[in-house]
Amino acid sequence: MSSTPSRPAADRRTASRPARRRGRWRGYLYVLPALAVYLAFAVLPALHTAYLSLFEWDGVTLGRWVGLDNYREVFGDAVLRRSVLNALTLVVFFSFLPILLGLVTAGLLARYRRPGMAAYRFLFMLPQVVPLVAVGVTWRWLYGDDGLVNQALRTVGLDGVTRAWLGDFDAALIAVGLVGTWVLSGLCMMLFLSGVQKVDPSLYEAARLDGAGPVREFVSVTLPHLRGELAVAMTVTMVAALASFDIVYVTTNGGPGEQTTVPGLLVYRLAFSDGKVGLASALAVVLACLILVLVFVVNRLSRSEE
Amino acid sequence: MNSATRTERWSGYALLTVMAAAVIMPFLSVFLASVQPAGTPVVGLAWPEQWSWDNYRQAWTVAGFSDLIRASFVIAAGVVPATLVLAASAGYALGTMKLPGGNAVAAFFVAGLTIPVELIVVPLYYDLRGVGLTNSYLGVILAEIALFMPFSVFWMRTHFRSTPPSLVEAARVDGASSATILLRILLPLARPSLMTLGLLVFMWSWNQFLLVLVLIQDTTMHTAPAGLGFFVGQNSTDIPTLAAGTIIVMLPILTLFAVFQRSFIAGLLQGATKG
Amino acid sequence: MGTDRPPGRARRARPRRRAAAACAAAALLPLAACDALTPGSAAEAPGPRSVPSRTAVPDEDITLRLQFADAPLMVDALIAAFEEEHPRITIEPQYKTFSDYVKNLKLTMTSDSAPDIAQFAVGMTDLAEDGHVLDLAPYREAYGWDASIPPVSLDQLTAGRASESTGGRALFGVPAGLSMTGIYYNKELAARAGIEQPPRTLAEFEDQLAAAEEAGLTPLGVGALDSGGLHLWAALLNHTMSTDDYWDWVNGTEGATIETPQAMAASERVIEWGRLGYYNDSANGTGQVDSTAQFTRGDSVFLINGNWAAGQLATAMGDNVGFFPMPGGHPADPVVASGFSVSYAVSSRTEHPEAAGAFLDFLTTPEAGRIISDNGFLPTNAEAAEPPRGVLADVAEGHRLAVADDGITTFPDFAAPAMLDALRSGVQKLIAGRVEPADYLDALQDVWDEQHAE
Repeated sequence: MSSTPSRPAADRRTASRPARRRGRWRGYLYVLPALAVYLAFAVLPALHTAYLSLFEWDGVTLGRWVGLDNYREVFGDAVLRRSVLNALTLVVFFSFLPILLGLVTAGLLARYRRPGMAAYRFLFMLPQVVPLVAVGVTWRWLYGDDGLVNQALRTVGLDGVTRAWLGDFDAALIAVGLVGTWVLSGLCMMLFLSGVQKVDPSLYEAARLDGAGPVREFVSVTLPHLRGELAVAMTVTMVAALASFDIVYVTTNGGPGEQTTVPGLLVYRLAFSDGKVGLASALAVVLACLILVLVFVVNRLSRSEE
Repeated sequence: MNSATRTERWSGYALLTVMAAAVIMPFLSVFLASVQPAGTPVVGLAWPEQWSWDNYRQAWTVAGFSDLIRASFVIAAGVVPATLVLAASAGYALGTMKLPGGNAVAAFFVAGLTIPVELIVVPLYYDLRGVGLTNSYLGVILAEIALFMPFSVFWMRTHFRSTPPSLVEAARVDGASSATILLRILLPLARPSLMTLGLLVFMWSWNQFLLVLVLIQDTTMHTAPAGLGFFVGQNSTDIPTLAAGTIIVMLPILTLFAVFQRSFIAGLLQGATKG
Repeated sequence: MGTDRPPGRARRARPRRRAAAACAAAALLPLAACDALTPGSAAEAPGPRSVPSRTAVPDEDITLRLQFADAPLMVDALIAAFEEEHPRITIEPQYKTFSDYVKNLKLTMTSDSAPDIAQFAVGMTDLAEDGHVLDLAPYREAYGWDASIPPVSLDQLTAGRASESTGGRALFGVPAGLSMTGIYYNKELAARAGIEQPPRTLAEFEDQLAAAEEAGLTPLGVGALDSGGLHLWAALLNHTMSTDDYWDWVNGTEGATIETPQAMAASERVIEWGRLGYYNDSANGTGQVDSTAQFTRGDSVFLINGNWAAGQLATAMGDNVGFFPMPGGHPADPVVASGFSVSYAVSSRTEHPEAAGAFLDFLTTPEAGRIISDNGFLPTNAEAAEPPRGVLADVAEGHRLAVADDGITTFPDFAAPAMLDALRSGVQKLIAGRVEPADYLDALQDVWDEQHAE
């Protein structure tokens, strides 16, 4: 203990650093509410799912610890495995097709000023903003016996191929996939078109002077500039494909057979009507991991090429 | 302009136009079906011989779409303001202050962008039921806020990081507290970003299906998409009423989109790109 | 587990990876160790398990919610008649399609907003076991239901349990009407195909299907998108598999199996009919409700469906429609048909068990019987109702014959909660010729084994 008068000064000196540190931490007060809600209603449930996946539980009576058995079933059971494969197939329609369409449009229109684009942009974004349930209900009817699709086919004389598309073993998954194409193509096209807008026009001039054709120009100028947009489009569309639920629930409910069964549908069905909460949780974890891995790979690739 | 590039350009526009037609056809088909006289068998795209708006009245009152729409608004009215407040404040701290471990926390939020609803819905149901929050709008509201929080925090943080640091610095020198800086200086500037975020959150909340399907069992409390999901099973044969119901469910969000399309499109495109 | 670092100490890695590591650590460390967190350990006991034995309804305004999946017109009429007699009780009907209803039944009945009264369906047995629906045995005695309902119909609803209140058999539902599946036919189209009368044997029925095909008509409408397909398969199964073996299988009797030559034969027939083009082209994409609507428009000669569609068909088609149970191999064979009852259970969360009891008792009255019969169902109290006419009479006659032959079997999806999906997707595959019968039956038996293991 030193003499009294010197104490305040000493205090101030020694306390100032912790005080400033406390001040830096005080900023977390702003983060805390958001963090708390996020932790309580998203992160903890996600962890809880991982925990539940280690049990055999019917949702009511006492659960039984089964370790990794549920995961073994996810990979061993034909229906569950099928659902994951279906989701991966949907990636082709939700992801690859829209991106392809987007790239082609962007390539064709890369070098021009584009009047009237606002109207197109409005139209293309429409499927993005409406509820997927409404989209599903709409397409359920369009694909029906008397729907627009069959009507169009009849008009062009293809009466032979008309069918109830969603009830057809070979066509159902493709039909559901094309709904995804319909929803996501506009987003991809607009994403890439706004991306090529940022390309310096002189690069195209230079390419033309070098005698590059449209294809080479696309590969050497347009594509490299769209790498960021490409990563984004792939991420968004792949998540939409793998985590799809709404459209399948209202159009096919997974049928015919298991042709359109997706993991989301099974998670819901297993947990809430079949009383297999543990298995549903394991499937949800596998699904989330699949998404995480794909997102990681896509972002890795887009970054490493830079 | 030579002919090759002209072909290119026109084929580009042709592709756009074909795509636009493909996008618009389903909407048109549903709309035309919804104004056919009730009970008529409707085929594909058919111009109604007699325009009948009665299906809308039917769907609104008898099929209960008025209740569904109200429930959807109640939930959105809880989710949107809360999300904006929480995200703005968190984004402010993570974007302008040098918080110890701030980057890790920000990354922790961003990681949540990949959480599919499927991953959280099962325990959410059992946990919320345990505390009496199933069959309650509050339960759905909290879950949706949490679900949209990663994007929202990320969006606001990106915004605040792009504001000139000199602004904050000058205010701090003047002795303004951190709260004053946020409320008086930064928030007024953030209005466009908040606006866009609010629209996006409203849209996600309006369109959410799986969460509502699981957390709300009482069909009288269902939201518009959930109600439509049930309605289609019961009335798949009465196409005009079903179509009218579908339009009713889409109409609020379409109206918002038409009015605020600039903000919306900016959000949908930039929101994705910045991620 | 010791290698997991607490979140804050994680090595300086990319932020995202660090967050992921934090998740993993936080997930497994605290939770795995703690026994109290075993799921289900905190499950609350859901109220009383049985109704009171008194039947007097308190004199106050009461609102009951009734959730159901079959025959909305009948339910509306029953409610109207009941409310007239009990002006202080209001019943709010909540209709869901059968597939939506079954998909959500467990969630619904275990939630705080469970309806007071709910239609008995697959899954109710599990719910009864866990105490989510009330044991009605005390009412069975107090109201004297045994006098107005054939005891056998009540005994379908015991969930295999004894009553804790009466010591006798438990009771978890009261039947309003009895149900049965069979084949409807469009008389005008049948005549056009040269079909003059309902078939007496399965072979005759196959000839008629062929004749309809020949005449350029769609022979048989099936709504296989949801449960129409399984009714077809079950109707054929009824005539190949012995009813005793079938009941053993549905009831989960130890050692029962569906992997039998008889079930193979029925499954092969479903495939065969598909190959011959007897079904509507879009059977797998058509719901039962839609298949019924298409039948009223004259889209097919025959339709597989249950008596619950009879009221609607009678209204839409008048005298142009008839009904017969799926015929067997020989004209003298017993009439066997799948059937159950449209029964209602009472939630253990209801605040008004007495009012619910009054409604259930109302279902056994002659007045209710008349409404039930008008809607194509068989009233439990048969002599109370006037004899029906038209297609409704066909249904009643078919049911009478089946009951007389002891030939009402239950629906196959009652074997396990997950069976409905297995049957739905399985029969879709049969219809499209996408599965070997043996593999289909094997898949069903897997579901069965899982449910009835132990």
